[in-house]
Amino acid sequence: MTINLKSKKILIIEDNPSMRETLIHILGSLGARFIVAAETGVNAITAMKIDNFDVVLCDYNLLGDKTGQQVLDDAKYLKLLPLSTIFIMVTGENRQELVLSAIDNKPDDYLIKPISREQLSSRLERSIARKNYLADIENEIANGNLYQALTNCKQLLDSDDNKMRLHLLKIQAELTIKIGDFKSAGQIYENILYERELPWARLGLGIVAFSLDDVEQAIQTFKDLILQYPAMMDAYDWLVKVYESQGNDDHALFSLNSAVTLSPMSFSRQKKLATLADKTENYAIAKKAYKAVIKLGNNSIRKSPADYAGLANVYLKEKAPDEAQKIVNQLSLEFHNDPEAKLRSALLESEIHLTKGDKELAQQAYEKASFLNKKFNKKLPKELRLNMAKHFYINGNKSACDEIINDLIKTNIDDKFFIKDIVRLCDTIICKNHAIKLINNIRKEFADMNNHGVNLFAKGDTKEAFDIFAEAIAERPDNQAAILNMTRIMIHDLKKSIPDPEKIIKAQSYINKAIEIGLPYSQVSQLQIELDNL
Amino acid sequence: MLPIEFSALLASSIHDIKNSLGALRALLAQLENFYIDQKPTELKHLNFEANRMNNSLMQLLILYKIDLSQFSPTIDEHRAGEILEDIAAQQSTLLSLGNVQLITQCDNELLCYCDNTLISSALCTLVNNAQRYCLTKVLLSATQEGDYVVFCIEDDGYGYPENLISSDYKQLPQMDLSTGNTGLGLFFTDTIAKFHVQGEKSGFITTDNNSQFGGARFKLYLP
Repeated sequence: MTINLKSKKILIIEDNPSMRETLIHILGSLGARFIVAAETGVNAITAMKIDNFDVVLCDYNLLGDKTGQQVLDDAKYLKLLPLSTIFIMVTGENRQELVLSAIDNKPDDYLIKPISREQLSSRLERSIARKNYLADIENEIANGNLYQALTNCKQLLDSDDNKMRLHLLKIQAELTIKIGDFKSAGQIYENILYERELPWARLGLGIVAFSLDDVEQAIQTFKDLILQYPAMMDAYDWLVKVYESQGNDDHALFSLNSAVTLSPMSFSRQKKLATLADKTENYAIAKKAYKAVIKLGNNSIRKSPADYAGLANVYLKEKAPDEAQKIVNQLSLEFHNDPEAKLRSALLESEIHLTKGDKELAQQAYEKASFLNKKFNKKLPKELRLNMAKHFYINGNKSACDEIINDLIKTNIDDKFFIKDIVRLCDTIICKNHAIKLINNIRKEFADMNNHGVNLFAKGDTKEAFDIFAEAIAERPDNQAAILNMTRIMIHDLKKSIPDPEKIIKAQSYINKAIEIGLPYSQVSQLQIELDNL
Repeated sequence: MLPIEFSALLASSIHDIKNSLGALRALLAQLENFYIDQKPTELKHLNFEANRMNNSLMQLLILYKIDLSQFSPTIDEHRAGEILEDIAAQQSTLLSLGNVQLITQCDNELLCYCDNTLISSALCTLVNNAQRYCLTKVLLSATQEGDYVVFCIEDDGYGYPENLISSDYKQLPQMDLSTGNTGLGLFFTDTIAKFHVQGEKSGFITTDNNSQFGGARFKLYLP
């Protein structure tokens, strides 16, 4: 059993020069002709920007640099890894530690040092074969064509060579959940569990229960899993999600905190913990988590001024302005040319001075922030804009505050969690119902627009109805009604004439969008069937 | 009195030692590259001992986590053949240095349900031991026996000493330290075997001297 790597582009990320040589030597003996070696994570990212690699071998412990997990996260974040790329994490450590630190992105395989030629060869061969076998499914998933992916998956299952049967069933169940057909997904998991108790299938049943609003059952399932498999991070993450959806932030925080204790190296978990602890006024946890986020964000492209600001804010809430000032200084130092960081610093300083009772300096800082804000013209993180609105209001500039709030509501009307944040802020600083009124107005405006479109369509003015919905979608890309109506019109239009392939693709993309924003399966599947019949 | 639990201290020391050992093993692999044809037998021994140490430490850490209830296996469907292949590949460096033959035997379609990293690490240690005590060959096989998939390691050595042929492997770590046979490998394998459960059945191990080549025979049963 030998593979030939002649046609493969390979990237080695390894800080130890002799280990690098050994790997190049082994890969060369397996036929590789195109090998790039990077000694740091930063260089690796640069290399990936230049070439698309077929295979990436990445050391986990890159001394004084990003960890291998950060390299993988950054590469995925920057979309530098095509679906066909095989990413293998190489480590001297026990695998469980690494699995724990991987949350959003998992490598295709893990290899434990020292690596022999035979080991590398057989692992690569297996990974390549697996990738090829699943390519038809994965490509469709990447293009958002979940129904097609599901069809391809079923085809492989029906081909009955038993190759990766369980893995295919897992993909099938996950896709079935994604398209919103929860009952069928539950059936797939039940069938698997009937054969054998497998943690991921049990987890799947929990997800199905949650999706069907059986919250109690979902919580029980995730809790049982954690009891039985204390290192199963997915179970914690889902439990947190369920509690959050119920508005039970204290329980969510508790579960998330246990998960973070087990996997302290996960950037996104720490970040979520920091925000949640901050929101629930558990400042000790919030501080610890923000500090961890800042530390993990170093050397990473996900390093953000928002995390420093978050930490400084917690100090302010604890009435420790001097500590907050220290963090602001750090923020200015780390992001000295970043205008967003400047704005955040100015806002924080305004509050710091206010806490210390120096109104004049506070006013100066506020004016600086207000000046910086003008330069951005809406291109700021929404949470920062909301904070800016608050400062405008406190400093008596009600119209500037209203302008931001109005715009934030309009552009985020379909983002449940953020709308909640806006309501909370308005309720505390302006007055109760202020935001609710604005939200209802905007919802009504959209409903009218939708109804108008539907009426036009009913009268046969397809073209005009189309324009109305196109406008609605442009304004609110995540609006369920607009997307649904648009898809209906397009399919109706396609039925009347000889189907234009371009229009079919367009209609499919609306269906994909409909799935993504969570339209019910009963509605979307009907449209998909109609489209398939064309 | 120490301000922290001794077991925690032990665990972090093991981590430290393991890191150094990792560096040591990388150096060994490079050293090997210097010798193109004839590799000195000392290298074989060095590799063998380093491998053993690494495996023992890793197993100790996992046992520590099990003790803290912080460990759970990742059980999924795997091809038994791939697990054997992995073990053979991991042993290949060692085998190429000596004159012991490792034979693997398995039906390519045979599927088993386990934490593959854990199982191959456990079996690696035992294969490693078998290589040490065999004369010329070790047979590593996987077969279906009723509701179990059975991994079997047989050699042509002089067999297990009496104290390692036991039905209760929980006793093994208290084995006679003076002989060097602590039985940690067996204890570890037995412990993780029990984590593999299907319905009423759970995994277990057996040891005897009924090898088809006349030496020791180890069997791991996974439901």
